[in-house]
Amino acid sequence: MIEVDGLQKLYGDFPAVQGVSFRVGAGEVVGLVGPNGAGKTTTLRSLAGIIIPTQGQIRIAGHDLAREPVAAKSALAFIPDEPHLFEYLTVEEHLRFVARLYRVHDSEARIPGVLEELELSAKRTALPGELSRGMKQKLAIACGLLHRPQALLLDEPLTGLDPAGIRRMKRTIVRHAEGGSAVILSSHLLHLIEEICARVLILRRGRVVAFGTVSDIVADRPELAGLRLEDVFLALVGQEGETER
Amino acid sequence: MIRIFGYLVWRSGYNRLVRQLRHLRSPRYVAALLLGAGYLWIILIEQRPSPAASRVISGSWIEVVGALALLGAVAWGWIFGVERRVLAFSPAEVTFLFSAPISRRGLIQFKLLRNQLLILFNTLLWTLILSRERFGASPWLRSLSIWILLTTLSFHRLGASFVRTSLSEHGRYGVRHRVVSMAVLGIVCVALLVSVAEALPALEAGRASGALAFLSALSAQAERPLPRLVLWPFTAMVRPLSAVTTMDWLHAVGPALALLLLHAIWVVRSDSAFEEAAAEASLDRARAVERRKGQRRRSPVALQRLPSFLRLSPVGWRAGAIFWKNLIAVLRMRRTRSAALAVVAAGAVAALCSIRGQTTLADVAGWLALTWAGVMLVVGPQWVRNDLRGDLSKLDLLRSYPLRGSSIVQAEVSAAAVALTLIQFALLLVAYLAFIRSETLRFDLAERTILLGVAVVYLPLINFVGLLIHNAAAVLFPAWVHLGVGRPGGVEALGQNMLMIIAFSILLATTLVIPVSLGGGTVLLLHPWVRNWALIPGTVVLLGTLGAEAWLVVRWLGRVFERTDPATAGLPA
Repeated sequence: MIEVDGLQKLYGDFPAVQGVSFRVGAGEVVGLVGPNGAGKTTTLRSLAGIIIPTQGQIRIAGHDLAREPVAAKSALAFIPDEPHLFEYLTVEEHLRFVARLYRVHDSEARIPGVLEELELSAKRTALPGELSRGMKQKLAIACGLLHRPQALLLDEPLTGLDPAGIRRMKRTIVRHAEGGSAVILSSHLLHLIEEICARVLILRRGRVVAFGTVSDIVADRPELAGLRLEDVFLALVGQEGETER
Repeated sequence: MIRIFGYLVWRSGYNRLVRQLRHLRSPRYVAALLLGAGYLWIILIEQRPSPAASRVISGSWIEVVGALALLGAVAWGWIFGVERRVLAFSPAEVTFLFSAPISRRGLIQFKLLRNQLLILFNTLLWTLILSRERFGASPWLRSLSIWILLTTLSFHRLGASFVRTSLSEHGRYGVRHRVVSMAVLGIVCVALLVSVAEALPALEAGRASGALAFLSALSAQAERPLPRLVLWPFTAMVRPLSAVTTMDWLHAVGPALALLLLHAIWVVRSDSAFEEAAAEASLDRARAVERRKGQRRRSPVALQRLPSFLRLSPVGWRAGAIFWKNLIAVLRMRRTRSAALAVVAAGAVAALCSIRGQTTLADVAGWLALTWAGVMLVVGPQWVRNDLRGDLSKLDLLRSYPLRGSSIVQAEVSAAAVALTLIQFALLLVAYLAFIRSETLRFDLAERTILLGVAVVYLPLINFVGLLIHNAAAVLFPAWVHLGVGRPGGVEALGQNMLMIIAFSILLATTLVIPVSLGGGTVLLLHPWVRNWALIPGTVVLLGTLGAEAWLVVRWLGRVFERTDPATAGLPA
């Protein structure tokens, strides 16, 4: 569903991402983790077609992102950590706007359900300026989920959500994966990654240092056996921290 | 405190400049710099007449025309309102400065001082522009005169916006805190109306005898006691500019400086009064909310629901979503509604006057509407910015949509072109209605109807091309072009805006050279056989060529858009 081969992104001489390859299958949730500046957002923005990779191939739902950008982007949704909304469109109009962009033919029936799912029904006629940070984030998520994307890219999706919203968002992510979406979830919340992701991709200085289930990663490094993801992560990226067994 | 503000302004300005200069590593930006420098050289320096050829412009001419122009600019601000962009704080400034131990008045003074950067830049531009016509004292004194004029007008606009906001948002509390301002405004308005009413017969007689006679009548009427009194503040601001000797300038600068000082006091005091009014109104509103407790409240945005014909269908041209979004944004701007109401009212009054035979008023309205329609052709693309200039700050989002770059460019520019064309049509329609019974014009009613039809055919594409030029600048040089729906406006930015308009007009004329040549050639070729009917194929060829040019530019810009990297494009954070 999401296939990445030899992804590289250079800014001048600086390699933001290099030699990144992985695959995420339908129905799978993969966690993308790494310290600040590891290349997580660059990877996600490359997968979303926002930035053009210096090298490498990206395929979304079987479509080459460079050669068939419209088909590839039709199958994906990218939800950034900072919600970008249009000042003069109401909540419901944002969804109508997205419905046209992605040709969601059953949008009339689907919009109320999405609004309900993200607790936005009461705010359907509100403009973004009248929404709280969390509500804006929910609207960005609703816009991403409306067209039932086959590939879902989430960059710190829980930023700004309240505890109930976080719980509901976790359920939503899992439900979409169960519905057949390939999901990549970038977050610093390692307990969240551990909870809902089948596999984890750890980046450090633009390179993949580990990819697989936590037990796969630990199996290759016996010294990490019995550790939780947080400790495995800190050990792999070489950052200081107390190890808890 | 001044040192802290100075540090903030200096370091921010320096870092911004360095960041922008870094883009000179790109050949595209180097080419733009060279072209821009060449343009400024030609416009500001090379075209300057030699001292022998230059002429001394009459001081009285500058005073009368300048004072009337200033009166118009000030009246515009009072009638249509001005944005308090000067006082707009950035999110970072709100976070750091509002929570810091700095008084609110200190913050306002900081913003006013910061606005001086824009004023000083435009003072320099105007000094260079006006140096083409040798008048007044030395360049230094002229610069100082321009600075006084721009700063006073900037303060006045701000004060006017405070009064307007206070009245519209705080009702009777606003009026109570604005007694002095309201009284002065009322006296000036009455004096102005009486002056105009008294001057009308003489002006009407002058108008009937030609333009020069009209101008003479205007000058004579401006010298009468009451108009002279009304125009005095404006004349006082312009007089240092027209002073020929240093002594003249010293005599003239006193009243201008006094006006500047008065305005500074007015603005600073206005703001505290504005805050007090806001506080009182807030208390009153809180009490009203308390009274309404338990009652069902109407949604504040219920009025913003769209009529069913404007609802977006999920099927059709994908980029139509962007087109729709941008049009909705224009419709929802308060300024659009005010302008639409003003145009409808003007059209109705003009038509009524024309039908009743009151041709003088109808003619004035007609010529005003025609002039504005023409002005909108070159200024409109700078004002209507609901296109890529407004959306490039959301480049990440646009790039993630399943759309080709050319589709995005096409949809963005089309929406702005439709909005601009509608404004021009409305103005032309007002002019058409105003002149409906006029018999003094060169064209009869049938010819005027045909001309209106011609405008309907030509304007959309010409506007599209004009807006494409502005959007091309934004896509090619996002780090150097001002992005966002707002733009630097007002008298403080008049100099730079004028240079932009001249450059834009040259580019627009250049794009029209080939289409006009081919269209004109077609008319000349076919005229011997089909006479005036040759205009139809000529129009088709002209519009076809212009459309082909626009299509090629859209495709090219689309590719540039697709290759633009948001991380390195230098977009505002």
